[in-house]
Amino acid sequence: MITIALAKGRLQTPSIKVFESLGYEPRDACDSRKLVIENHTGRFLLAKPMDVPTYVEYGAADVGIVGQDALRESGCDVYEPVVLGYGNCRLIVAGKPEVQADGWRMLAGLRVATKYPRCAQAYFSSHGLSVEIIEVYGSVELAPAVGLADLIVDVVDTGRTLRENGLVELDEIFKSQAALIVNRASHTLKAEEIRRLIEEVENQIRNS
Amino acid sequence: MISQQVDKQLPYGVADLFFKDAARKRAVEHTLIDTWKRWGYSEIIPPLFEYYESLAAEAGPQLRDEMYRFFDRDGRTLALRADFTIPVARIVGTKLYDRAMPLRFFYVGSVFRYEVPQAGVRREFTQAGIELIGASTPDADAEAIALSMTGLRAIGLTDFRFTLGNTAYLRALLKNVSLNETQALGLRDALRRKSTAALDRLLDGLSLDSLTKKALAQLPALGGGTEVLDRAPRVNDESSQALERLRGVFTLLDRFGLKNYVTFDLAENRGMAYYTGIIFEGFVAGLGFSVASGGRYDNLVAHFGPNIPSVGFAIGVERVLMALKPSASIAPDAIAEDYSDQVAASRAGGQIVEVDVLKRSRDKLREYARARGAREVWFRDGGVEKLS
Repeated sequence: MITIALAKGRLQTPSIKVFESLGYEPRDACDSRKLVIENHTGRFLLAKPMDVPTYVEYGAADVGIVGQDALRESGCDVYEPVVLGYGNCRLIVAGKPEVQADGWRMLAGLRVATKYPRCAQAYFSSHGLSVEIIEVYGSVELAPAVGLADLIVDVVDTGRTLRENGLVELDEIFKSQAALIVNRASHTLKAEEIRRLIEEVENQIRNS
Repeated sequence: MISQQVDKQLPYGVADLFFKDAARKRAVEHTLIDTWKRWGYSEIIPPLFEYYESLAAEAGPQLRDEMYRFFDRDGRTLALRADFTIPVARIVGTKLYDRAMPLRFFYVGSVFRYEVPQAGVRREFTQAGIELIGASTPDADAEAIALSMTGLRAIGLTDFRFTLGNTAYLRALLKNVSLNETQALGLRDALRRKSTAALDRLLDGLSLDSLTKKALAQLPALGGGTEVLDRAPRVNDESSQALERLRGVFTLLDRFGLKNYVTFDLAENRGMAYYTGIIFEGFVAGLGFSVASGGRYDNLVAHFGPNIPSVGFAIGVERVLMALKPSASIAPDAIAEDYSDQVAASRAGGQIVEVDVLKRSRDKLREYARARGAREVWFRDGGVEKLS
């Protein structure tokens, strides 16, 4: 019996489909208000995307499905053997057009609003830029509009929200998609079960 | 309101231990020490701090970054020990290199690392481990692995499994590959995460012969039983030797009756930067992170003196305590109203006897004895009262 953590939100439905197609029955995990669902196919828990890597790193769940954006931001030490091909998005730096015109890498003392403070800090540090990171919890695009920040670091899918808020993309930090992650101890202690799951998921991805 | 009084706070990553927690920790340490001793190991106690230059030797960038550094009064940089292997290598390389080999040392004590918050990570933590110095044989590797497993069993952990890898295998695959620093870091990171996607992306950007490329791309999947050693690509003599080494160690572990506890993992390259050969990591059921890790380090002692091949491991004492059921008792056998010959005799016989120093009434003494979990109260007149 393995415990599987699934991220709520936009990855939820496709992730459930992956496990259903492999004969697991995670459906109840979403239909009911229960946080943990257990049946003969496994134990399923539904968590906020940012929490999934934590559950898996500590071994509270053996495996999980989460976006690589949340995974990188968490900094958690887990295995990520399979990428799943859905939930594609990009973590980018964006700002107002005038910032771009000024050559934003030349500017000093920039303020950056983001839900991804770790990734943002790592990106700007690696470019030798000292910026002030402002952590916000929603509507990051609002920050430049009202003068809270000069730049934002956020995930974009189509880029529509950026355009609607008059922002332009300045750089891409990384591409992200949903990934299967595995606890390191489970990978050893439940080696056969986990290896079978990884192979099944790989085949599933290849054939879909 | 969160207290702002700094003088009552504790810094992140350290802990106070007392009562049962302290007793449990000490009991585990004693059991491990007893086990090490019976295999011929004697204790080595390096200093808590020494010159940073010594400790930084072969430590690798990550461990170096994590060291607590400070200045001596003459301006030289000191550091708190971040592991035991480097100080032991210094001692052997500078003082013990001409002794009869092998040397067998065990140690127990705190190490200090400035680590970011992560599962099971503290900044002061206790390592209990061994170093087997002056032996390059598979037999020495097997002894180290068997001893770490025997230690876990001795403290009552029986449901465990170890991963076993060989850093020489990856080194053999990369023998004729030139990587810049970014590529080398990227490769290690992709292997650490077992990320096939990241690995494929990285390999596509390198000019490699197809054999090497295929071998590297396969690495994350090279985990499991001995069939992994048959399946693993052999691109040169060194890669064959690395695989045969693992098979040799595995065969020897069979003699200890321990081979069922081993899973091979050829992608693993975690652990210390100074590891040159086999590496292993132990996991126990119910805990999401490893409790023991070790490996072979054939070039570390050479940094301080002659080259002496060695192997060792450390068990994370706090981590095994998380996996163990609380069992230690610090309850006294008896509480005595006053000191007497009987108290002295019982203590000499190994019983725990506490003497009241507060001149309590009999009722108060009974109440206290119950709260302490004592079995008996001994009164001044020789009366003995058993407590249920």
